[in-house]
Amino acid sequence: MKNVTDSFLSLGYWPSAGSFGFNTDIFATNLINLSVVLGVLIFFGKGVLSDLLDNRKQRILKTIQNSEELREAALDQLEKARARLRKVEIEADQFRMTGYSEIEREKLNLINATSKTLEQLENYKNETIHFEQQRAINQVRQRVFQQALQGALGTLNSCLNNELHLRTISTNIGMFGTVKEITD
Amino acid sequence: MNVLLCSIKTLKGLYDISGVEVGQHFYWQIGSFQVHAQVLITSWVVIAILLGSAIIAVRNPQTIPTDGQNFFEYVLEFIRDVSKTQIGEEYGPWVPFIGTMFLFIFVSNWSGALLPWKIIQLPHGELAAPTNDINTTVALALLTSVAYFYAGLSKKGLSYFGKYIQPTPILLPINILEDFTKPLSLSFRLFGNILADELVVVVLVSLVPLVVPIPVMFLGLFTSGIQALIFATLAAAYIGESMEGHH
Repeated sequence: MKNVTDSFLSLGYWPSAGSFGFNTDIFATNLINLSVVLGVLIFFGKGVLSDLLDNRKQRILKTIQNSEELREAALDQLEKARARLRKVEIEADQFRMTGYSEIEREKLNLINATSKTLEQLENYKNETIHFEQQRAINQVRQRVFQQALQGALGTLNSCLNNELHLRTISTNIGMFGTVKEITD
Repeated sequence: MNVLLCSIKTLKGLYDISGVEVGQHFYWQIGSFQVHAQVLITSWVVIAILLGSAIIAVRNPQTIPTDGQNFFEYVLEFIRDVSKTQIGEEYGPWVPFIGTMFLFIFVSNWSGALLPWKIIQLPHGELAAPTNDINTTVALALLTSVAYFYAGLSKKGLSYFGKYIQPTPILLPINILEDFTKPLSLSFRLFGNILADELVVVVLVSLVPLVVPIPVMFLGLFTSGIQALIFATLAAAYIGESMEGHH
């Protein structure tokens, strides 16, 4: 009977393990159940988890591919746009070149025309000057001639006496006579 | 007499097999504090598992994620999803907090249910899930309280306290009480569930060592995961609640 009470007493007393150590009792550590649970978990969980992760991976791959394709398309468009820009630029250059050359030609034409007009004006001027000069020379000549004649007339009037007068007249008559003879 | 002795022997044997220890702790003295060393040890193991696996997973990151990285990204996506649905648009800064809560609790619970902690003997008590101890869960719940107060105050300033008299000032005592019941319910729910799980398993193991505890262990796994999710979701919900504006 004492044994019984002892046992109950020992049941009521919590033994302490005392220090750190390993419990090698397979039942107390519940190892079998734990390994079964782990095994089942891994067996079923693995399939589910790998499916899940595969799906996710595929989704990511698809997304990346999609964006890759979008990028390709965008790059293509960019390339096209660039080509068009280049063409337009070339055209603009051409337009500018033709415009420049036209302007240049116009300028040359204008310059030519102007220089021609200028030349003509120069000619006119020269002619006018020449003409004026001629006129001035003629006037001078006339005046000189007139003065010479007046001088001669004065000299004639002052130095002409009867005898000289008569001689001159006779000479002139003679001259006219010869002139008449020649004309006849 | 013989029969009695025999039965006592079997009882003793049963007792040796079971060795259920409740309320036994392995104490460490740190300063003037007595800490539950078994909780600290298992917490460290859990933290090591989390940090180690995270470091291994992101050691060599790739554009197209491979196994480990893929798994962890999936977990992160899950946590972001949870925080987004609970907190709303400004969930970004709270993802680390919610994620820490969820991962720590989840791995703690599952470590208690899956790792053969009992192989290692302590001078007192036994190793189990860290969430098996009320101190851990209270700490987590208080962290949640601090977090939602911080969230509300940093978002709205002192007008955060205006929510105490919403919708009518009559509800002021209840609103104040809520701040105490929130961490209380959080901590007790988690603690109770995990402790109950482990106790049920231990008791069943002590009665029938093989096969019978297995369904209960699966139930325990399920409950543990659900509890971690509930804790994280509620923490996020509290944070979101204190941040939401009604203007």
